[in-house]
Amino acid sequence: MNILKKIIAFVAAGSCMNFSYGQELSATDIVRKADEKFTGEKSGFSVMSMTIIRPAWQRTVEFKSWSLEDDYALTLITAPAREKGQSFLKQKNEMWSWNPSINRLIKLPPSMMSQGWMGSDYTNDDILRESSVVNDYMHITEGEEKVDEHSCWRIRLTAKEDAEVLWDHQIWWIDKKDFIVLKAELYDEDGYLVRSEKASDLKTFEGRLLPSVIELIPVENEGHKTVLKIIEMKFNIGLTVNFFSQQNMKNIR
Amino acid sequence: MNNYQLAWRNLWRNRRRTLITAASVFFAVFFALVMRSFQLGAYERMFRNVIESYTGYLQLQGSDYFDEAILDNGFEIDTVFLEKLATDRNVKTIVPRLESFALAAAGTSTQGVIVMGIDPEKENRVTDMRNRLVRYRLTPKAVEALKNEKIPSLSGDLLDIFINESYTGTGRLMIDLDIDEKDTSAILPVIRRHASFRNEYLSAADTSSLLLGSGLSDFLNAGVGDTIVLMGQGYHGSTAAGKYMIKGIVRLPAPDIDNRIVYLPFSTAQALYGAPDMATSAVILLHSNDDHEVIETAGRLQEMISGPLKVHTWKELNALLVNQLEADNKSGMIMIAILYLVIAFGVFGTVLMMMAERRKEFGMLVSIGMKKGKLAGVVSLEMLFVGLLGVVSGIIASLPVVIYGNVHPIRFTGEMGKMYTDYGFEPVMPTMLPDTYYLWQTVVVLIILSVAIAFSIRKIFSINVISAMRS
Repeated sequence: MNILKKIIAFVAAGSCMNFSYGQELSATDIVRKADEKFTGEKSGFSVMSMTIIRPAWQRTVEFKSWSLEDDYALTLITAPAREKGQSFLKQKNEMWSWNPSINRLIKLPPSMMSQGWMGSDYTNDDILRESSVVNDYMHITEGEEKVDEHSCWRIRLTAKEDAEVLWDHQIWWIDKKDFIVLKAELYDEDGYLVRSEKASDLKTFEGRLLPSVIELIPVENEGHKTVLKIIEMKFNIGLTVNFFSQQNMKNIR
Repeated sequence: MNNYQLAWRNLWRNRRRTLITAASVFFAVFFALVMRSFQLGAYERMFRNVIESYTGYLQLQGSDYFDEAILDNGFEIDTVFLEKLATDRNVKTIVPRLESFALAAAGTSTQGVIVMGIDPEKENRVTDMRNRLVRYRLTPKAVEALKNEKIPSLSGDLLDIFINESYTGTGRLMIDLDIDEKDTSAILPVIRRHASFRNEYLSAADTSSLLLGSGLSDFLNAGVGDTIVLMGQGYHGSTAAGKYMIKGIVRLPAPDIDNRIVYLPFSTAQALYGAPDMATSAVILLHSNDDHEVIETAGRLQEMISGPLKVHTWKELNALLVNQLEADNKSGMIMIAILYLVIAFGVFGTVLMMMAERRKEFGMLVSIGMKKGKLAGVVSLEMLFVGLLGVVSGIIASLPVVIYGNVHPIRFTGEMGKMYTDYGFEPVMPTMLPDTYYLWQTVVVLIILSVAIAFSIRKIFSINVISAMRS
């Protein structure tokens, strides 16, 4: 899942702490450092809550999530009560949904890909998208800026012409010390800011420094926001591909 | 002898000429009336279908719901307030509904549907839902069985035409199969035996059953007793998913709706969408559905509302249909205008001919002392009589056609019928019973006549006796 992907990216960044500063880094190197090493993490488990904020209302969904590399993820909704027990399975570029109240396993059709996941601002497409911020974009360091007292590199990622990506360009603020993406702005092909993402409240999970709150703001919709909070996180828990099965979607607790 | 008598006798002096002129008016009136009647009848039917089976004449909605028909723009039901609105003198009752979208799946078929949460008993008063339950169905098996009964008055060809058709009552069935009233009592039991359809209406206590439109039931290949899974987005982005049993199948006259509608009991729909106490709209049932009254009532109710609610009339609720039919109506009017133009020239031609034929006669009459004024009066009366003869006979002749067409509307079957259904129209063309449009046709014919009369009067006054006598 995208969210998870990012989290794991942050995890990876955590292991960059002992990175040597002896040499000047190129923008691509920085992005790679922030992104690359999550593939090194085999598997992960997390408990999160997601608060969807709208001008007139807000609601919170809680879920557990298991993941293996970038290809597999299993998510189980634990709250609110009426949605408890629903699970989602990502297998490579397919996504399945299991709903206990209708006893049905559904493969999400392409038409549902642009819909928000659980009503949030994260689309199913965000979760499945298989683009690489390293290979599909060109990177330029645009300077150094502070984000919440952290000094960051401001890096512009411009999509390569032949890359199949959603965004025209992105601007990332990557923490200089911990290689954590603290802020990102995503622009569409007309150059309009479509979405901004922000990470904050750095906490240590199993010895790794990670942002525990991630906000996603769709710029076009005034007053809309999705806030993701990480409650618990574990790494390398020894999952295999077999764990990510349709059978397990129905049984997992 | 007065002018009337003179005119009347003059008419029958040359019977053929009179009849030809009257016939031209007769055909004008007859065709215009029948054409208009079909057109207006089709419009009326379409509106009635969609209003009486779906939107209702007046609706109360959340103020944002009209622009964006999503559940989040619904309103919380305030019973006290609704009761207050219902005290208006033209309001019978107010029936809340919860309407949203979902994917419906049965077996391997899936279809996007309109999910409508209804109060089964109250809704019955708005859309007469109980009587829309399918009672008879000419399944291939039923048709086969009926054919084997070898009843002489039951035509096998008609059975083949209406195969797979659903009926909500025997009336329509008898008409479709062209069964005489005297044979009805003999044939009905046979049809009941073979083509009856078991069906049940919803009750408010049902938490796991639904009604399905007959078109949707065909599409999903799901019948009574089968399970339907509904999936969609609920209130405030929650997940809406539920499993229901089909309790009954309803046949709605508008194919557009029949093909995509699912009815759930109100509270079940609220539970499905996670929207307790919410409604997306409330149909306001009126004593008088007259256009003028509907608009006035809407105004009065809107004044009573203080919250973010809005009252919409059926014209606003069906704006697309209104526009479509208005455009169609314009083209129909052009057709009629052309028809009248042709007719006007016809009438004018016969008048011209008559004037030429009677030139000598007029010259003689004037020369022996008849006043031109009196002559003009007599000729005008003659033409008025001929015109009225044409108009009245046209109206009389059109009445049986119009009335028959209203009771037995033209029904398109096969390819043609399918084309209509695909466009979202019922493949039926009824006529409209005589109404103000009858008056208008008459008025138009009289206008044409008066032009002809004016022309002949001018001709008479400018008559030159000598040259007229010599002609």
